[in-house]
Amino acid sequence: MLLLKLAFRNIFRQRRRSLLTALSMTGGYILCVFSFSLSEGSYNNAISFFTLDHTGHVQIHQEDYHLRPKIHKTIDEPQQLSEILDASAAIESYTFRIFAPALAYSEHDNAPVQVIGVDLEREQNTSTLAAKVSLGNYIDDKLDAEDYYSAMIGAGIASNLDISIGDELILISQGADGSVANDIFIVNAIIGDKDSGDKSTVFLPLIAAQEFLSMYGRVHEVSILLKNDGQARTVAAALQSQLAELTVLPWQIIESTFYQSMQTDKQGNVFFMGVIVFIVFVGVLNTVLMSVLERTREFGVLKAIGSRPVKIALMITLETGILAALSVFTGLLLSLPLIGWFTSTGIELAEPMDIGGIVMSHITGEMSLYVFGLPLLLIVFFAVVISIPTGIRAARISPTEAMRSN
Amino acid sequence: MSHTIVSPTDASAGRIRHYRLWPLLLFFCFHAGGAAAADRAIEIIDSMEALYQGASSSATMTMIVETPQYLRTMEMQASSMGTKNSFIRIVSPRKDRGITTLKLDMEMWNYFPKINKVIKVPPSMMMGSWMGSDFTNDDLVKQTTLTDEYTLTLEETDELYTVILIPKEETVTVWGKIDYIVNKEYMVPVAQNFYDDDGELVRKLEFKELKEFSGRMIPSRLEMVPLNKEDSKTIIIYDELRFDPPEVDESIFTLRNLRSRF
Repeated sequence: MLLLKLAFRNIFRQRRRSLLTALSMTGGYILCVFSFSLSEGSYNNAISFFTLDHTGHVQIHQEDYHLRPKIHKTIDEPQQLSEILDASAAIESYTFRIFAPALAYSEHDNAPVQVIGVDLEREQNTSTLAAKVSLGNYIDDKLDAEDYYSAMIGAGIASNLDISIGDELILISQGADGSVANDIFIVNAIIGDKDSGDKSTVFLPLIAAQEFLSMYGRVHEVSILLKNDGQARTVAAALQSQLAELTVLPWQIIESTFYQSMQTDKQGNVFFMGVIVFIVFVGVLNTVLMSVLERTREFGVLKAIGSRPVKIALMITLETGILAALSVFTGLLLSLPLIGWFTSTGIELAEPMDIGGIVMSHITGEMSLYVFGLPLLLIVFFAVVISIPTGIRAARISPTEAMRSN
Repeated sequence: MSHTIVSPTDASAGRIRHYRLWPLLLFFCFHAGGAAAADRAIEIIDSMEALYQGASSSATMTMIVETPQYLRTMEMQASSMGTKNSFIRIVSPRKDRGITTLKLDMEMWNYFPKINKVIKVPPSMMMGSWMGSDFTNDDLVKQTTLTDEYTLTLEETDELYTVILIPKEETVTVWGKIDYIVNKEYMVPVAQNFYDDDGELVRKLEFKELKEFSGRMIPSRLEMVPLNKEDSKTIIIYDELRFDPPEVDESIFTLRNLRSRF
């Protein structure tokens, strides 16, 4: 108790020195938090970008459709699946899709396209498709007066085939029964722009795509959005045990290329973070070391009047620990609004980026316990670690020598 | 004696006369045997290829496509004129009704009534599947004249002729060899075996169920079995086949008729 009192007294006795030490730690803490937030934020942005764009958090397929898509690898009873998915509390929403390559014709030209049949209503709640409509309106699954279904086409198709809203789009493909799938659709919306990932995609109402491809009632993919994106692996495993005949996979496996490169990138980032933490560490080391060296005489006196070396070392560690704790606490208070703003508003980009039809105008950060907690622990830990050798050094000082120095 | 040639007329002439001719035949074989056998082989193949066509013909057939995933039945009407022109229209199922293929000389088109579009089949697609079946476009419309594009060798047993077709240098084909097996008695095809460049049998076409059409005995059931696809085959059944029908004339084999509703 006495030691604690002494430690506090020492901190406040030399206000300027304590303030400088504290400033270096507070600054270091804020720098760390900001870097962590930026790094986590950009990954999470990328993850939420494509999980929301099309992948979802968990996907269900027949066999290895996700690796080797074949038109006949279908989920035959999506209605039964619905019952299971509706019963799960972890699931926010889900949607059914079918895929097929096709050849698209307009009056003028033709082009290879990817056809995706989507459950329009469910898709709206599961992916950002509706937000990507750049011209026209999100379609419905009703036949028009002339018995044609609507289609949404990527901007690349619109420009290649020179068609726009209201024009006919002819699609030819191979049906699931081997027949030649051929039909006319009316373009009612354009998706994204010419650089979007969906530039060569035709979106059809699920029912229209099923009719077109002769795969009535069957689907290729179920994409699931979870309430908590961190649960993808556990929910996938739980669903897999319920759906033995199907393949349930989390986005980490569906998007394994991205996930692995992200993991590799994160490894590289650890080094970068290490450098930042090291700079902070050196700053703290410097100030702590200075504050001990400055007080050589004081420690000499303490020893001369009979203080035990252990107590002196302990006192120095305590002082540094308290100072570090106060500093990071101040840093936390200061960085909360900063990171709050960074997460919600972000730094405006000079040139807005368009990623697959979604415009990214700001770099945003991430706000989580990890972002605030890890730097906090790191800095307090390093401060204490630094103070131990310096404390020992002070404790082993000989009183006569110490008192002779200034 | 691989070069003993017995034409159907000789066979019908009786054995005694046949024997008397034997030394002459032997002589013939020694001197011009190779060329004659090749000519005979060409004759056989040409007559086989013309079997279902005649000068002109009209047929109603059923095509059954079987794969592990689906079974599909189509009814078709086909007309042909010579070996150059053919016209095939799908009558049922409803979904595919009216899809039509026209082959005129060396060109081929498909017409899809639902989208009112004629699509030309490029030469590169001639070996592609016809309407998802195991028959290629080329099989259906016989664009390739076997006797022009292949070198023929004839082998025979008591009941069968086997004509071995090897593609000529300049022939563009996916086949390394075709065995064309013919029933001597009825002069009808029995089977065709298709080999790839490595000599591996990749598909076989079998001709079954001899039936009389307009006074000729013709196999009414064709089964195409691809050996590189498991549990798949396509069957064509001739329900009706008429030769030189009055309604088949030049006007059928036109792009205008291709687009006509029926």
